[in-house]
Amino acid sequence: MYTILVYDVNEKRVAKALKVCRKYLNWVQNSVFEGEISEAKLKKLKLELSQKLNLEEDSVIIYNFQTKFYSSREILGVEKNNLDRFI
Amino acid sequence: MKKPVYIFSDGVLKRKNNTLFFESEGVQKFIPVENTSEIYIFGEVDLNKRFLEFLTQSEIILHFFNRYGYYVGSFYPREYLNSGYMILKQAEHYLDLQKRLTLAKAFVKGAYKNMKQVLKYYQSRGIDSLDRYIQQMDNQFESISGIDSIATLMAIEGNIRQTYYSSFDLIIDDDNFKFEKRTKRPPRNAINTLISFGNSMMYTIVLSEIYRTHLDPRIGYLHSTNFRRFTLNLDVAEIFKPIIIDRLIFSIISKNMLKPEHFEEDFEGMLLKDEAKKMFINELEQRLSTTITVKNIGNHVSYRQLIRIELYKIEKHLMGEKEYDPYVTQW
Repeated sequence: MYTILVYDVNEKRVAKALKVCRKYLNWVQNSVFEGEISEAKLKKLKLELSQKLNLEEDSVIIYNFQTKFYSSREILGVEKNNLDRFI
Repeated sequence: MKKPVYIFSDGVLKRKNNTLFFESEGVQKFIPVENTSEIYIFGEVDLNKRFLEFLTQSEIILHFFNRYGYYVGSFYPREYLNSGYMILKQAEHYLDLQKRLTLAKAFVKGAYKNMKQVLKYYQSRGIDSLDRYIQQMDNQFESISGIDSIATLMAIEGNIRQTYYSSFDLIIDDDNFKFEKRTKRPPRNAINTLISFGNSMMYTIVLSEIYRTHLDPRIGYLHSTNFRRFTLNLDVAEIFKPIIIDRLIFSIISKNMLKPEHFEEDFEGMLLKDEAKKMFINELEQRLSTTITVKNIGNHVSYRQLIRIELYKIEKHLMGEKEYDPYVTQW
């Protein structure tokens, strides 16, 4: 499953959200992550996030795609982090 | 789902915020641990024990290659799927010559059938003269049934492979990529370099898959278990080398993706440049994630899953549940 995750979190907890997301997905730009992830891992990620965040105040949106087949990805301007498997 | 990471740059790999972090001049990159299956290191990378501990915890294998692209070794973290029973069974099948021969012959059979399938594929593409090589391989394979020693079995396997390799010039038909003969340590021309690099990638891929099963990679059957570290991955890789690596090499060359400037000469040998290695690995990854339908499974499986299934089949054989029958490609 291909997933895009965006969050809007109070400054106090932004660093926490960032650290959790970095374990599961690739950082794309501020408060945006994406990557291939299994359903089980996504569940784990959601659980971990909900423990760190205040769900009364913070907001996280997760977009899931079963396949990347009908999607395309364009970048205007700078690519802040390339998602290559090579470093 | 989990994906391997390939590091070609020089830098430091460490644990940071409970995830993997790579740092070098100007580059800082977090790698999601939960989504990493294994790490291949081609560059000069520094790491510390804390990092290795973290890898053990996250069950990630580390494969090292030297600056010539030769396999150096792996950091094989503590087994997390332990089974004394499976080790005993593996040893039992190694110590009993008849049982060992059964498995070793199965590997040779699998390798031979897949090599034949590769040649047949190109025959159907209009290279008629391959028939002679297939015939010769068939003859060489026939003598396998009466054999009662591993050494002669390996010799026959070597002969079959030699016949198979000698047909490469017919398949490739490109003056820049003349095969002539198989040379190793160091490979002396472009095509030999590609085969060597591809094969060592194949060995590490199988090793990574073995880590995810109960099998012990130290006990192999065709390749004898002596004082070298891993042998079971070499056995299993024999089956997949023709259909994954060799086919990949042919397709890369026929698509003109490799240029002479992708190679450099060194110590009488031929080396692949990083750029070409990346391209090769990219194509390899694509091939491994291609899904196919397999008889008796009914579902779509990727080539990488196919390797794992092969290992499960060996486990079943060792436990006496079902005779091992190597995978033979259908196309």
